[in-house]
Amino acid sequence: MRPTVSVFFKRLALTALLAAVPCLAAAGPANTLNVTPASIVMDAQYSGVDLTVTGSVPTGADVLVRVTGTPGELHLREKGKVFGLLWMNVGKVTLSNVPSVCLIAASRPLAQLGPVAASFRLDALTKAIGVEQQGGDQSVDIPHELLLLKSREGLYREGAEGISLGPEQGGMQPFTARVGMPSSLKPGTYQVEAIALRDNAVVGSTSATITAALAGFPKWLSELAYQKSALYGVMATVIAIVSGLAIGLVFQSKGAH
Amino acid sequence: MSLSMSLYLPIAGASVNCLAIFGLGGVVGLLSGIFGVGGGFLMTPLLIMMGIPPTVAAASDSNQIVGASTSGTLAHFRQGNVDIKMGLLLLVGGIVGGSLGVQIIAVLRRMGNADFLISITYVLMLGFVGGYMFLESLQAMRKSSDAAGRSESPRGESLYARMMRTMPLQLDFKRSGIRLSVMMPFLLGMLVGVLAAIMGVGGGFIMVPVMVYLLRMPMHVVVGTSLFQILFTCMNVTVMQAAQNHTVDFILALLLLLGSAIGAQLGAKVGKKLGGEHLKILLASLVLVVMVKMLYDLLARPDILLTYAGGH
Repeated sequence: MRPTVSVFFKRLALTALLAAVPCLAAAGPANTLNVTPASIVMDAQYSGVDLTVTGSVPTGADVLVRVTGTPGELHLREKGKVFGLLWMNVGKVTLSNVPSVCLIAASRPLAQLGPVAASFRLDALTKAIGVEQQGGDQSVDIPHELLLLKSREGLYREGAEGISLGPEQGGMQPFTARVGMPSSLKPGTYQVEAIALRDNAVVGSTSATITAALAGFPKWLSELAYQKSALYGVMATVIAIVSGLAIGLVFQSKGAH
Repeated sequence: MSLSMSLYLPIAGASVNCLAIFGLGGVVGLLSGIFGVGGGFLMTPLLIMMGIPPTVAAASDSNQIVGASTSGTLAHFRQGNVDIKMGLLLLVGGIVGGSLGVQIIAVLRRMGNADFLISITYVLMLGFVGGYMFLESLQAMRKSSDAAGRSESPRGESLYARMMRTMPLQLDFKRSGIRLSVMMPFLLGMLVGVLAAIMGVGGGFIMVPVMVYLLRMPMHVVVGTSLFQILFTCMNVTVMQAAQNHTVDFILALLLLLGSAIGAQLGAKVGKKLGGEHLKILLASLVLVVMVKMLYDLLARPDILLTYAGGH
């Protein structure tokens, strides 16, 4: 029994430590971030989810809430004109340090928040992206095109909506932000940050992480498709044939009279 | 909570509306049942528009076509419209041609201009097939309406007809009511297989005109036989895509299938009511519309100059 108990306590201590991390990262006093749901369950009914982020900022400050996915590498094709007439894929582009998701909400129109806020915005994000072009037109602003592509998919977004500030309490003001997570989210870890801005300066920041994971039927299906892919393919084919036959037979009996 | 029609698809990585997918399947299935085409050239672009990644859209569509063509083949088989002998010969040719086409694409990709050739092949094939069918059936419809009694002056046998008649290994195809060499369906099946592999489609819209104009089969047998042949082609594609690329979303396919299998059954009935010439002219118009859309995509500046790799 003893080793099990000690493992249990070690885990407990670790969990407590991990839970404390967002608090340690906080710059201001009593500046913690609460995110609900703390983990995103991607089951059969999942069609995106609204995250509710609550915390507090010094009175009079504005809040900027940002949800970002883990940065990674992305391989894309670049379109260009061939023979001055036809648009088609002309080159390959490898982008590095691209967050899968970047959703930004602010308590005031972003342009009014001053140059300091600009460093947290989508444009700043694209400056950190590494671009490697193979063929294609070197004059094309690739990070800008990436921004358009990701915005169209709903994976990148910024705007002054969804944040409400509450009444002041002892120099601090609570805020609640609602961030809509897109349905095309990939399972993984996401970082939630809240930045307090006042007079063009950062007066506090705090962050937390949330996870998104497949659950239920989608999880089962995804595991089958990736781990037993040949079986999955045969199964998909057989089910399609059986369904096709079944529907055909239903129509036969209906049309028989 | 209200009853939600949305469903999360883990392979596609997106949430879709069940009714929308079901309806899309129904419309494409109807066309498939009427014309004997798999409908891949319509379904895949529409799925992409609904937010499904291109590679998943194409592969899941193949899976869906397996079910739809099973249902369609069954319906046509009961009406005596499937020439199994012809279908098998075309299929064997198609598989040989398909493997050849995959090799050709691999070589082209290494040379670096595969995408250009694929797009051009697409537009030219669609334009040629659609345009020819359209003009031919328009002519036939005019002829039958204003020259009911007059018979065409018996001209000499065309070179093509003589070649068909004199080729070795002649065989009777009772269902189609024709006699021709075993080599013909095999070689033509192979040709369609090569083109289909290059274009990444089932090839139904090329196969149908080939059977009508080059094998000279009656239109109603063409549709049933084409569906029979497509069934096997798409079974092969589904298993390969699932095993190698993990791009088959079987739930998406099943939803599309429910819609399209019902649509295909209705289509087979509608097709029987429409005359052969009407069928041909409608299919020709459909092919031409897709061609114009593809040509537009090639000529107009895209909104975004980046796309995801994969597909074509």
